[in-house]
Amino acid sequence: MQTVGKGVGFHRIRRVTGYLTGDVKFMNNAKQAEVRERVKHVTPVSKQPQAKVV
Amino acid sequence: MVESEMLLRKRDGRVEAYDREKLRLSLTAAALATVSEEFRGDSARENILSVLGVAQTDELPDFIRGAYVRQTLGDELYDTIDFVVELIETALAERDEIITTAELSEIVHNALVDAGQTSILREYVMRATSRARAIENAGALMKAVSELTVLNSANSNAKRENANVNGETAMGTMLQYGATASKAFALNNLIPEHISEAHREGSIHIHDLDFYSLTTTCTQIDLEKLFEEGFDTGHGFIRTPTSIESYSALTCIVIQSNQNEQHGGQSIPALDHYLEKGVAKTLATEIAELCRLSYELKGHITSEEATQMAKEIRKTLFEYIQANRFLKTDNGRAYAKMIVERYAPECVDNFDTIWDSAVRRTERRTQQAMESLVHNLNSLHARAGAQIPFSSINFGTATSWEGRLVSFMFLEAVDAGLGKGETPIFPISIFKMKKGINVDPEDPNYDLFKKSIRTTAKRMYPNFSNLDAPFNLAVYRAGNVATEAAYMGCRTRVMTDINGPDEVTRRGNLSFTTINLPRIALTTKNLDEFYQKLDQMLELVLEQLLSRLEIVARRRVANMPFLMGQHIWRGSEGLAYDDSVMPALKHGTLSIGFAGLAETLVALTGHHHGESDEAQELGLEIIRYMRKFCDDKTKELSLNVTLLATPAESACGRFLQLDRKEFGVIPGVTDREYYTNSFHVPVWYKTNARHKVEIEAPYHALTNAGHISYLELDGAAIDNLDAVEDLVMLMYNKGCGYFAVSHAIDHDPVCGYTGYIGDGPCPRCGRMEFEEVPLSRVTQCK
Repeated sequence: MQTVGKGVGFHRIRRVTGYLTGDVKFMNNAKQAEVRERVKHVTPVSKQPQAKVV
Repeated sequence: MVESEMLLRKRDGRVEAYDREKLRLSLTAAALATVSEEFRGDSARENILSVLGVAQTDELPDFIRGAYVRQTLGDELYDTIDFVVELIETALAERDEIITTAELSEIVHNALVDAGQTSILREYVMRATSRARAIENAGALMKAVSELTVLNSANSNAKRENANVNGETAMGTMLQYGATASKAFALNNLIPEHISEAHREGSIHIHDLDFYSLTTTCTQIDLEKLFEEGFDTGHGFIRTPTSIESYSALTCIVIQSNQNEQHGGQSIPALDHYLEKGVAKTLATEIAELCRLSYELKGHITSEEATQMAKEIRKTLFEYIQANRFLKTDNGRAYAKMIVERYAPECVDNFDTIWDSAVRRTERRTQQAMESLVHNLNSLHARAGAQIPFSSINFGTATSWEGRLVSFMFLEAVDAGLGKGETPIFPISIFKMKKGINVDPEDPNYDLFKKSIRTTAKRMYPNFSNLDAPFNLAVYRAGNVATEAAYMGCRTRVMTDINGPDEVTRRGNLSFTTINLPRIALTTKNLDEFYQKLDQMLELVLEQLLSRLEIVARRRVANMPFLMGQHIWRGSEGLAYDDSVMPALKHGTLSIGFAGLAETLVALTGHHHGESDEAQELGLEIIRYMRKFCDDKTKELSLNVTLLATPAESACGRFLQLDRKEFGVIPGVTDREYYTNSFHVPVWYKTNARHKVEIEAPYHALTNAGHISYLELDGAAIDNLDAVEDLVMLMYNKGCGYFAVSHAIDHDPVCGYTGYIGDGPCPRCGRMEFEEVPLSRVTQCK
């Protein structure tokens, strides 16, 4: 059976500041640490379009 | 004695024989410096050569022993040198066969002290230090070059200083070599020593050091002016475009040309307004073409005659557009019908069909033009191929059919993504929110706002700007697009101008430098001292910005053939090729930035502004103080000195590391790997959206050089459009100037899925990261 994808990572697109980067791995060490430690400010109930911001 | 067998290991590792004459030479030079001004400073050696009239360096030792030197130094001092050399050699005789430069320096040091010659010692040490620094700099440079060459970017932080410059490629590495060398040059040769030192020790961070003497940061481009007047990229003249495809292509060419002359980026303040005429002209061309086709199909006239007829229709409608800007209006439609009746009477009965068909074809062509715009801005290269132009596109306020079509199709293109569904990293798109235009349900562009919300939920773009924030509203004049605040890239804002009209176009930031606020707090004992030190730091940064401006102002139009030669910048008209660019630069901004307000407040009060009202009060007081400094200097100097909430992509890590080395790990201050961005509430602090925004919004009003706030949304944003809209409206209503919603966008390049994946399998093809799946499953879901 033919397979695909071995060793292929997902791209993790994240915000740097006003701009984005195509993958977290392109960021410098300090910025990567910052991205790891970011907390979410709102967690809407998934698939609930009525979710309200706190 | 020692001379024949003694060996000296130099700083770079080379070993050479100890040379008595060389030692005598440096001691004599130091002694000469104590008695005569001519022999002081860096060029002392050259002065010795010229004063003594020595043609060859190797003749120098003889002259050192000659009458001139004896006369200048006086007999006593002259003989002392012989005595000191003797002392040194006696000490050397007790040493090992090989000594290092450092050991020799110590011996010389002791000998001069023993001989009571402290003033010679001072001169000697000064020369030795500057020599050592030069050698050290060369060594550090080679080490940096070596890192850039041999390490891959996963192991080299230096190669990832900017997340969107690829340090892996040949051109990327070449760019980084150049940057490394020019940074060293700037720090050692261009910048006053006390300022270089402040940068090295991390009290301040001078951004874009590599371009220090060369150019400025960024420009807000008036595309319409370029389209109307035409322009030259250096290899030929470009005429006014006549189709939306050409408008789109030229937009990219302008952005690329601009990028090659700037170290920051470029912003298009109002894409929808600038491309309106391109859409109208496309509609006109389609009408003319449909008439031609209709005549040709009927076969009543020759194909040449039909073409000539179409040309007349097109030309006449273009004239109408030139005068009225739009075509798809009631008047425009009536006029078009009249023209069709005049030149193609047989078509007039079918005019409605022709018109509707032309509109549909124009929509389709605009869609393709916007798609190619987004693709081009992710594939064009600037700076010898090392970098994609850093482009920002502001849009959303044009209410004409033509302008709305541009905005709509641009959003479609961002939403669709690139060839395999990838999220476009450029351009940074910015939807401009304005009451009466696109904020309330009854506003004409409210649909575009809703579409922007959907697009940002999928792509994290557009970001949003707020023309109703009081500080942006203050400069807004209805009917003048150039007074709509535009943002650039990470956050830059260039708005008011002490030397011209308060318009965003044809200006930009000149340079910016960031103050390490936490360090000021860590090195002062109380608030009074803090403000004293802050004052000194503000003055220091201003001194640096002005000295940099003085250097850059020596650039001539010839050095910036596009920016100045094509009059992208206001004030460059009428300048000759050899003229200084200063008349244009005076419209730019000099920005003072800051990083780590949160950590500063912890150091000063024990709490950051997210957790204490008192800290928030102090935070605002500090930033207000800095803003006042900028405003006062703007008036005093007649230059636009502005306050920036620095993005600090690389500075926030560098400041932290240097401070941790000096002050150790201090809880809440230096215990993370980075300082918090500008005025942000710490990213790790658990709080809700409303509170974070209420804390951050007042700083937007104070940071006139630019600011941004973002809120992090958990999970799949696309399933929670209302939540995304609530967050955007929250930041808008609280008076933030520029803001965005952040969420995780994951992309599986194997099946093309874009959305939230997290730690789990790809929701589309079921593949776990780095694992394989049957090809059939991927084919099925494509």
